[in-house]
Amino acid sequence: MTVNETVEEFFLVCRQALAAVSEGGGEGGNEALTQLGWWELPAAFDDPEARGAMFALFRAAGRENGDVGALPALLAAPYLDASHSGDGNASGAVAAAITRRSLRRGTVHTLVGPTDAQLLLVDTPGQGVALVPMSSVEFASVDIPGRLTLREVTFDPARAEPLLDEAAARDARARSLYAGRVALAFDLVGTAEAALDLAVEYSKVREQFGVPIGTFQAVRHILAWGFTDCASAAAAAELARDLALDPPERLGEVTKAIAGRNARRACQRSLQALGGIGFTQEHDHHLSYSRALALDSLLGTSAQLTRELGTWLKAEQPELGYASRALFA
Amino acid sequence: MLPTTPDAAAAVDPAAFAAELEAWLQTHPPAVVRASEHVADYPTRVRIMQDLMQVLWDESFVRYGWPVEVGGLGGSFLHRAAMWEGLARHGVLGMNLFEHLEVLLPTLVELGPRDFTAEHVPLYLSGREIWSQGFSEPGAGSDLAALRTKAVADGDGYRISGQKIWTSWSVWADWCCVLARTGTTESRHRGITAFIVKLSDPGVEVRGIWQANGNEELAEVFFDDVFVPADRIVGELDGGWRVAMHILSHERGTFAWFRHNFLYQQLIEFGASSPDAPEFLLGDALLDLVAATACSANGVKEHAAGEILGPRACTNKLMLCTAEQSVQDAILAGDVDLAVGVQDELTDLLRQEYLFSRIVTVYGGSQQMQLETIAKQVLKLP
Repeated sequence: MTVNETVEEFFLVCRQALAAVSEGGGEGGNEALTQLGWWELPAAFDDPEARGAMFALFRAAGRENGDVGALPALLAAPYLDASHSGDGNASGAVAAAITRRSLRRGTVHTLVGPTDAQLLLVDTPGQGVALVPMSSVEFASVDIPGRLTLREVTFDPARAEPLLDEAAARDARARSLYAGRVALAFDLVGTAEAALDLAVEYSKVREQFGVPIGTFQAVRHILAWGFTDCASAAAAAELARDLALDPPERLGEVTKAIAGRNARRACQRSLQALGGIGFTQEHDHHLSYSRALALDSLLGTSAQLTRELGTWLKAEQPELGYASRALFA
Repeated sequence: MLPTTPDAAAAVDPAAFAAELEAWLQTHPPAVVRASEHVADYPTRVRIMQDLMQVLWDESFVRYGWPVEVGGLGGSFLHRAAMWEGLARHGVLGMNLFEHLEVLLPTLVELGPRDFTAEHVPLYLSGREIWSQGFSEPGAGSDLAALRTKAVADGDGYRISGQKIWTSWSVWADWCCVLARTGTTESRHRGITAFIVKLSDPGVEVRGIWQANGNEELAEVFFDDVFVPADRIVGELDGGWRVAMHILSHERGTFAWFRHNFLYQQLIEFGASSPDAPEFLLGDALLDLVAATACSANGVKEHAAGEILGPRACTNKLMLCTAEQSVQDAILAGDVDLAVGVQDELTDLLRQEYLFSRIVTVYGGSQQMQLETIAKQVLKLP
């Protein structure tokens, strides 16, 4: 079996496992990861097959609206690696929060998915990386539709133990950010595909004027654009995955921005094809849409990243070698 | 210097080829430098590209990736993909009419008459001969199977009468691959044959079409009882539809790779260099470009592995066009002289490019045809 075939097969197994969890009420996503042997995969990042399988989980999670704690474990792994502590986080003992700035509340730390971790890892650029016992952390649930557990966390800085100073953190931060952005890109692709699936199937059965609405060119073209949004974001995420060991400059930012932008577009196009039913709580579309909005907002929104990329292009007028790297990836 | 015998060339894999090309480009060959200069006059650009093709032939770069039987040195499609990527990265502004190499030539090589292609492909690759393709007609655009140009058997050949339109580069071309009806009008796609017509033959008249961007790239071609020998049929008699689909699969699949490479260079050289260019537009254009890279690199690799590109390849064409328009929109936003200023050499060139980007969603299978193919064949909508 080729690497791609192995990864594709693992993707399907992940989907089945996460679909079963969703049908059972949504509890137990992390146990499913244990059964899939997923927790060992981030430490095997250098191996193309392990890396491919590791990221495939995220696309499956998006596709099945799965509630798993994979992202915090993946984000923590490079820091633990740099500090030579732990086992590459194979037991998921450390979960990293994502730091962002809130318009009205200043710095906010977000934990994505459920976690059984004992330690919370917090990276504050300029101040280095610290670990906080999870038992001392306070959680505030983010109450938005969707099956994904999202919590903002607060902690007493006095309980934080330094893990890496600023100088040592820099390289780990870059690797963590890259892996996290590519993982989010895969989740966003899966999320958009789930939303589009709903609209495509609906347009085959919903009739108006005596025929399925999928016979109308206006609807067909909206959905074909949605497919293009998904397919191009997927191709970009796969490229970033394949180049992960030595990525060209800013590919992580580009990949995440494409995925966030395209996922939001695909959700909007799907909603348009679904009509009013897609805007109700009884229909699953809104779960995917809310998930896409949430994930686009982590590790840099598509709007923010896009602007920053433009600033970079202007300031440095870099030689862009993405095409030659893609050709030989 | 690269090996110039097929046996020795077989050892040069695409990565080694790319490295050899890169070393050569680092020496700033005059023909490459010339092709990177800002020249507004289109016929001059055509001659500059012909000269560059001759140099690439002499240095044997352009022989890689084409079969030995037609003057190539073997190797894969990836060699060709690497050559144009390298040229673009070193400032060559576009392929101009040699884009057609990657649309038409793969089909000619695979389905064209053997002796003919052995003689003429080397002339094409070295810029000494130029080709066009006669598909569209006034009454047959997206609905290609409605074409009416007729070919009637006459002795050891056929006589062609009718009219083609939007035949790119016919003003400069020596040869044209013409789709003509050999069956009844009702036979639709079953009664079409692809012929190779010499455009200087009696009965052929080429009239250039002055385009909205000031160029004469497109043309109308009239055929009045033009004799074509039977050994200049591409593929089978009545097998023209297969030829057309073969060509169009390149146009919507791998063509995106070749064309989009040049957009990176343009985004930096003409977009990012302007203090007035809005950052968000530049960034957004980069997103579209990388998405086009990722999609079309997959198409290139599938093609190199001998796979046929399916309907999903329509996304490549859609992304290419989206990227081309985004890049040009970012350039215009940073340099409104294109729209409203006195047209000096560079401004004129950029204006031509901007305006051309407005029509990319129309040619080579319109955006609507690509969307319809996805809707029907990928999404399986009713």
